[in-house]
Amino acid sequence: MWRLLSDLTFRLRAVFRRGDADRDLGDELAHHRAMEVAHLRAAGASADAAERAAARRMGGDGARQRETARGGWGVQVLDDLLADVRYALRQMRRHPGFTAIAVLTVGLGIGATVALSSVANAVILRALPYANEDHIHVFWRDYDWRGDEYDFLRERKGVFSDLAAFSTSDDAYIADPRATTGAQDLRFVVTTPSLFDVLGVRPALGPGFTADDDRPHAPPVIVISHGMWQDDLGGDPNVIGRRILLGGAPVTIVGVMPSGFYFPTPDYRAWRPLQLDPASPQYTNGYLVLVGRTPAGLPAARLNADAQRIARDLGMRFRYPVAWDKTKDAHVVPVHTYLLGSVRGPILLLLVAVALLLVIASANTAALVLARTSDRGQEMVVRTAMGAGGWRLVRQVGAESLVLSLAAACLGAGVAEWGFRLLVARLPLGAGVAGTLAPGLAVPGVAFALALAIACAIAIAPARGLLRRRFDSSLARERSEAGLRRGARRVHTAIVAVQVTFAIMLAAGAALLIRTVDRIRALDPGFDARGVATFGVVTRGDLPPEAGVQYLRDLVVRVAALPAVTAVGITNRLPVRDGGFQGVVTIEGRPDLDGAARPSALYRLASPGYFAAMGMHVVEGRGIDSTDLAGTTPVTVVNESFARAMWPGQSAIGKHVTTGWTGTRIAREVVGVAREARMTDMTGPVPFTMFVPAEQSPPRGGAVLVVRTTAPMAVVMPEVRNAAAALDPLVAVSNIESMETVVTRALAQPLRLRFFLGVFATLAIVLSAVGVYGTVRYAVARRRAEFGIQMALGASPGRVLAGVVRGALAPVVLGAGFGLAGTLLMSRALSGFLYGVAPSDLPSLVAATGSLLASAIVAATVPAVQASRTSPAAALRAE
Amino acid sequence: MGTGSTDIIRGTADMLILRLLAIEPMHGWGIGRHIEQRSKENLRIQPGALYASLHRLTREGWIRSAWRTTDNGQRARYYTLTAAGARRLAEETANWRRLSRGVALILAPE
Repeated sequence: MWRLLSDLTFRLRAVFRRGDADRDLGDELAHHRAMEVAHLRAAGASADAAERAAARRMGGDGARQRETARGGWGVQVLDDLLADVRYALRQMRRHPGFTAIAVLTVGLGIGATVALSSVANAVILRALPYANEDHIHVFWRDYDWRGDEYDFLRERKGVFSDLAAFSTSDDAYIADPRATTGAQDLRFVVTTPSLFDVLGVRPALGPGFTADDDRPHAPPVIVISHGMWQDDLGGDPNVIGRRILLGGAPVTIVGVMPSGFYFPTPDYRAWRPLQLDPASPQYTNGYLVLVGRTPAGLPAARLNADAQRIARDLGMRFRYPVAWDKTKDAHVVPVHTYLLGSVRGPILLLLVAVALLLVIASANTAALVLARTSDRGQEMVVRTAMGAGGWRLVRQVGAESLVLSLAAACLGAGVAEWGFRLLVARLPLGAGVAGTLAPGLAVPGVAFALALAIACAIAIAPARGLLRRRFDSSLARERSEAGLRRGARRVHTAIVAVQVTFAIMLAAGAALLIRTVDRIRALDPGFDARGVATFGVVTRGDLPPEAGVQYLRDLVVRVAALPAVTAVGITNRLPVRDGGFQGVVTIEGRPDLDGAARPSALYRLASPGYFAAMGMHVVEGRGIDSTDLAGTTPVTVVNESFARAMWPGQSAIGKHVTTGWTGTRIAREVVGVAREARMTDMTGPVPFTMFVPAEQSPPRGGAVLVVRTTAPMAVVMPEVRNAAAALDPLVAVSNIESMETVVTRALAQPLRLRFFLGVFATLAIVLSAVGVYGTVRYAVARRRAEFGIQMALGASPGRVLAGVVRGALAPVVLGAGFGLAGTLLMSRALSGFLYGVAPSDLPSLVAATGSLLASAIVAATVPAVQASRTSPAAALRAE
Repeated sequence: MGTGSTDIIRGTADMLILRLLAIEPMHGWGIGRHIEQRSKENLRIQPGALYASLHRLTREGWIRSAWRTTDNGQRARYYTLTAAGARRLAEETANWRRLSRGVALILAPE
């Protein structure tokens, strides 16, 4: 203990009183030299000769002596660093092969890690273009708030400093009000003018909305996005006050939002004032989203308490049916969660994957550096004999690791920058999202920070080896070298095992997600997406609604006549793309389901051709017919779960369902039951659904046209578009996409995770294979003499080869065991991302293990073949 | 290390230094000189290695040092053996005797 203390105080003194210590040593050496000169002169040498001889005996200039004597102080890190770095660079130049492999491995590892994590960061964690986004919260009940409720709550804001209500819409639009062709679909937000206050963003150009703009019958105005200004209006600096044609009517531009601003998603390109008119029947319809801003960040509990207070106020003012009761479940969600979904799970999963990958990449280089260090046993012995202490050698190894890692970081930053763009282009991102992503300045910074950490990590194993062994005597030298190599082998085994463990976990995770996506794809969605093209048709707002309905009828006839089109139908909302609102219904024969207990159901329009076009089947009764017109009996086709739940054990055909969605109560007769089909998403529960004849509930403003064809999409899409334009050039056809695209997008989250984990897992397997290869090659090189002797004694090349591969696979098998155990341990965390696959799914685990073992065997075989070709004579000569 | 056979390897140098300091306190040059003289010029220690050794021995607590004035009036740093150093010397000497006896037996002509 005392020794330790005195040692510590000595070192501290050396660090802080470096000048004194240095001067002491200088004085001491000067004295030594003076004594030497005096001694030589006493022996009869001339003054000159004595000086020269003393200098020679001192071993050259004083600085070098001082350097040697000071070596044990352990305080010279900075002084020596430059020398070490120069030495490291010289070493790297002398071993270009080693340098290239090490820099490439770590560089790719860093690059991949930084690129993937910054994409994950940009896609999932990115900041929204609003001021203090954590102060913005969206109220419960999406697209369900009414104008009267908003006006009521505006007076009772509680903790919220601002409230806004908005909804979304689209309409045909022409940028030039004089043009007569070239209508496009414009998706826009209809909102109270307070929205921009809530979001904390002002228009970059123009005044924006004024408080008067929401008065009923105020002159029509619009605020447009930066992108729309640039793309459609040529970035005209005098755009404020210009008019565009929207829904056939001129609308004045009063603002351009800043570049990068979007709300709620980038495909909404404009904002119009919501005019709440208590005289309009719309006023008491639930179709709005409520969003509020708090003056400061508040804890969720405080916000939700206020939401519940608001709910109580609402409950006193309005009466709600039980199924529709807004006063229940009152809460708010942060705008980030509302717009981008819950992100913690996927982020954590990806971060774990990134960490695993980086460990594998660094482990590789650590193995390489370790191999190099033990190969340099001779050099280390010599340097020790020359008076270099253990720490001095460790510093040298540290400097080499650092130089390697920094070179790798430069490569990695480049790879990351390039990889980021590649990934963004490859990912199934939401509409318009890709353009808003940038890698950010963090990329090079993160790359270099990682490089530093890796430099430390990869220097640890060789450093430990160096500190443990002493090279003091030439007697011990042979033993030390052998010991260093033995130690290196053990560490190598551990490194390979760790690599394989993590690679298995990544590969298993990827395999499970691949299987998940396969399972979801193999699910029968109840419709047949193949060969289906879909079109959003926005009819003209300047003509009476009947004209729009007639247009849709004409369009169906015209498209049906196109070659290769087998069915055409119309609906209001596409399955798995467009969400939908459920309305309460009254069920005939179920008095227990009346009043407050009324169930709600999804409401879908269907023209006679719709089921055929979508590939849906009617399992009982009939579908929607051309005889179901406005004047005939109101009918409906319900889905299987609806029929089963409402009339268990009976046929649904002939029963009645009363709806009140459009203001009037209509009793509809059930004429058919449609096979269960996915409606709102691919994996969640299917809501009760009612299909209603389009003719009996004419769509307003437009519809979705669904076309089944045997021709390629690229052929049929322009044909339908031309047909629509030929009927009326002012009708906008938008959102043209195949049903398969729609389904793929519905799978975006599992697809995205599968993509990331797939890339990670591939890299992990490749890096592990490189690790195994490097380790085996090193072992083979060291044991050449042994192989030579074996072969001289008559071992067949096959036996040598098998022996090497067997030896190499031991740590791989060990790692595989740990990896599988790790995967099972993580299974609870994983299960949230899986669908229809257990985390212990055997085929996934077998595939992961198999691919790793296979690549390890290949990696081990290459150097093993080399070993089996050793010529006995050559091997002995080398030794 | 050009002079080869006359150089002392470090572990041995430590022992020799301790041994010399057991006789009387000395300064660095004195130690080097004594090693040459007493070994009849068979051994020599390089100044760099000598002062590194002295430094390490000080750190281990086996020797102590202080600046003093020499007989002819120069300032020099004198090293003194500590009690711990004396114990260490005894151990090292015993080790060395055993080792050299073993080596001598092997190298001895048959």
